[in-house]
Amino acid sequence: MSGNLRVRLASVAATVLLLSYFAAANCFSEQTRLASPLIPDAGIRLGLDLQGGIHWVVGVKLDEAVAHELEFQRSALVEQLTADAVTLGATSVVDGRLRIEMPAGADVAKLNAWTQDRGVLTPVPSTDGVLEFTLSERWKKEVRERGMMQVLEVLRRRIEDPIQGIPDSVVTRQGEDRILVQIPGGQIDRSRARDMLKVTGFLEFKIVRETAQSEELLRAKHPNGLPTDTKIAFERDKESQRVLSAFLVGVQPDLTGDYLEDARVGFDNRQRPIVTFQFNPQGGEIFQKLTGEHIGSQLAIVLDERVYSAPVIRSRIGSRGQIEGRFSSAEAADLAVVLRSGSLSLPVAIEEERVVGPGLGADSITAGIRATVASFVAVLGFILFYYRFSGVYAGIALVLNLTMLVGLMTLFGATLTLPGLGAFVLTIGMAVDANVLIFERIREELRAGKTPRGSIGAGFNKAFWAIADSNITTMATALVLYEYGTGPIKGFAVALAIGILTSVFAALAITRVLYDIYPGDRHVETLSI
Amino acid sequence: MPFELIPPNTNIDFIGKRYLCFFLSVAVILAGVIAIPVRGVRLGIDFAGGTEVQVRFAEGVPVEEGAIRKVVDDCGVVDASVVRFGELGATDYLIRFRAGAASKEPPESGSCPLSAENLKQLAAERLAAAGAEDGSNAQVQRLKLALGNKIGALEVQRVEFVGARVGSDLRRAALYSLGLSSLLILVYIGFRFSTRFAPGAVIALFHDVAITAGIFVIAGWQFDLTVLAALLTIMGYSLNDTIIIYDRIRENMTLHTKFDLGEVLNRSVNQTLSRTALTGGSTFMSCLALLFLGGPVVRPFAIAMSIGIVVGTFSSIYVAAPILLYLERRPGA
Repeated sequence: MSGNLRVRLASVAATVLLLSYFAAANCFSEQTRLASPLIPDAGIRLGLDLQGGIHWVVGVKLDEAVAHELEFQRSALVEQLTADAVTLGATSVVDGRLRIEMPAGADVAKLNAWTQDRGVLTPVPSTDGVLEFTLSERWKKEVRERGMMQVLEVLRRRIEDPIQGIPDSVVTRQGEDRILVQIPGGQIDRSRARDMLKVTGFLEFKIVRETAQSEELLRAKHPNGLPTDTKIAFERDKESQRVLSAFLVGVQPDLTGDYLEDARVGFDNRQRPIVTFQFNPQGGEIFQKLTGEHIGSQLAIVLDERVYSAPVIRSRIGSRGQIEGRFSSAEAADLAVVLRSGSLSLPVAIEEERVVGPGLGADSITAGIRATVASFVAVLGFILFYYRFSGVYAGIALVLNLTMLVGLMTLFGATLTLPGLGAFVLTIGMAVDANVLIFERIREELRAGKTPRGSIGAGFNKAFWAIADSNITTMATALVLYEYGTGPIKGFAVALAIGILTSVFAALAITRVLYDIYPGDRHVETLSI
Repeated sequence: MPFELIPPNTNIDFIGKRYLCFFLSVAVILAGVIAIPVRGVRLGIDFAGGTEVQVRFAEGVPVEEGAIRKVVDDCGVVDASVVRFGELGATDYLIRFRAGAASKEPPESGSCPLSAENLKQLAAERLAAAGAEDGSNAQVQRLKLALGNKIGALEVQRVEFVGARVGSDLRRAALYSLGLSSLLILVYIGFRFSTRFAPGAVIALFHDVAITAGIFVIAGWQFDLTVLAALLTIMGYSLNDTIIIYDRIRENMTLHTKFDLGEVLNRSVNQTLSRTALTGGSTFMSCLALLFLGGPVVRPFAIAMSIGIVVGTFSSIYVAAPILLYLERRPGA
């Protein structure tokens, strides 16, 4: 054995052994892997389409963040200019524009000075007597980005919450205005998960001014319409949605959940689940003052426009309180998480949903493995029959190829999806292509009268570019697919790309080394190919 | 004596029969083009948006597509398609409807077979009032209960909902990915082959994708993301045979300067015929394994790949090679 061959054999063997080591990790259960210091901790991750689970793409309505910001700018502007004694007509925010009607002779210069000072509004052409502004591009981007980060943060805290959230769930940003939520396991209560996602979680405390059995009764007390700055809030039966009580409360909350420091599940003295909460020092002060001033009144606890309970304030309350609402303990736990995580400042909508039950995932794995085995047996049988002894080399290369494919996917932490299993099957068929090209070339050289040794060398050399070309183009499409595809298709692209790498290595390095071992430098009369 | 599928001295006159093959190719491509307005391109929910629900009825429950369709219809889901899904004898059905397909009437007052108990359950899950904003959860839950009442025990195996915005984004991504792949391959071909060869390879490539996609349109099969993955893979893969034949043609052109071009092309195709058949054959075998054993979800992918590999193998012989007759200037062409 020459020194050169020894080096090559050693490096090929080292590569194969290392990747086999990672591939072998998949033979053990997770507990065994984690317990043993010798076995790699991670196995191939199964995609949600194989292990079952929920895949959500959630769209965040960032346009509303822009509208909120314009509204904020509008009120600031009105406040400032009124203070400066500038007469303004009606102001409004319509279609992403701030619209200001200017009566004739109004001090436009002052208004313009104000907006320029702010630097966040860009004037747009409009009709006479009306000024229109949009948010400047830079500020709009900033506002959208901020809205996105806030929503992402809140959803992370809710769904990924290690104790009360959903185990193993992953919340990631996807593109400019979408959030990808992945929840593995098929046993998730989808309605519950969806609630965690969609509930705004905006908690308000409002002093009740009047109360009645129904809206009609309440309105009957105010024949001339409701007092200014008040509205009606309802407490409803959980199942039938029937109104239990109607409350006349202020439009503006007296205190909001923004001041909450913590929220937990607790039990009242009849062992019914409740949610207890604690304000931060600042909120505690406001709460003490509020309750101190309204002893004997009812305090409505409103979550997302719905009254959960309206206890009578019996004494001044410090920084703690509780929400009762005929909860189940699971509901109370979810509500506590929602309150802890803060409220969603922007509405979200599920734009894409893929839910796979665990049974179907298992079926898919079985089918995928069946197809892999069938493909393997057919292709292996074919090359053994067709190329005889050389077919054995190709067969060894194929087996090691698949092992390395699994090993690399494990090493990279790649996710195996159902289309990814399809790529496995395809790889088996495509992997032997390189061997076929080499072997056919060797046969040709043998027919042309070359010695077996010379033919092998020529076969590998002349087939090299054809092999490179074909794999580079397939690799290019795999990369494009990875860039543009969604979850399962990305899994296909990854498996295909890695399969191409291992196939080329198997054909050019492994088979070559095998030929160098036998026949190698020996003088042989014939070559079985 | 080695086993040989195609004897080394084979000499089939491919070039002489090129007109027949051209005619066939053009006919299939034309049929595909005509089918686009006639049959319409059927986009799966990935691209068109919509909801797909796979339900599995318990064993022994007598199920009929018609009965399912009636329940779905009665529950106010408009324009739903119901098909049996999976292997023969499976009790899986696929119910597919457009995104946010509105209820014709409130299910409470309609003929939707829901008990008061069901409605209470739906209300408790706060689904009764859930709109299109909320994916398809409300409709799916309602259908599940209604089908359970009317037909028999069932399990929802899979729900896929793609909203209109995501659908249009995926459509755009699909076109970009096809465009970018073509571009990358064009650049690579331009880099690897002389300008004389590149157009032939490109034409063969588009030919393969056009015929595969055309057959999908003619057959009325749906395009979804997995079919797109197959089309892109075909693009990358079908070039392989063409490259091998072209390499040989290039070699033979310098070797046999006396032969006319047709002779060189024929000789080259014949010399590489066995590897063309073997490489295509082994990959085709794998695709068949996937098609018959891989399960129903990957079937569209397997079908597209199988067609693409067969078409790609033939096209490298009867499109990529003969087309050089028209691109090359050489006596006797």
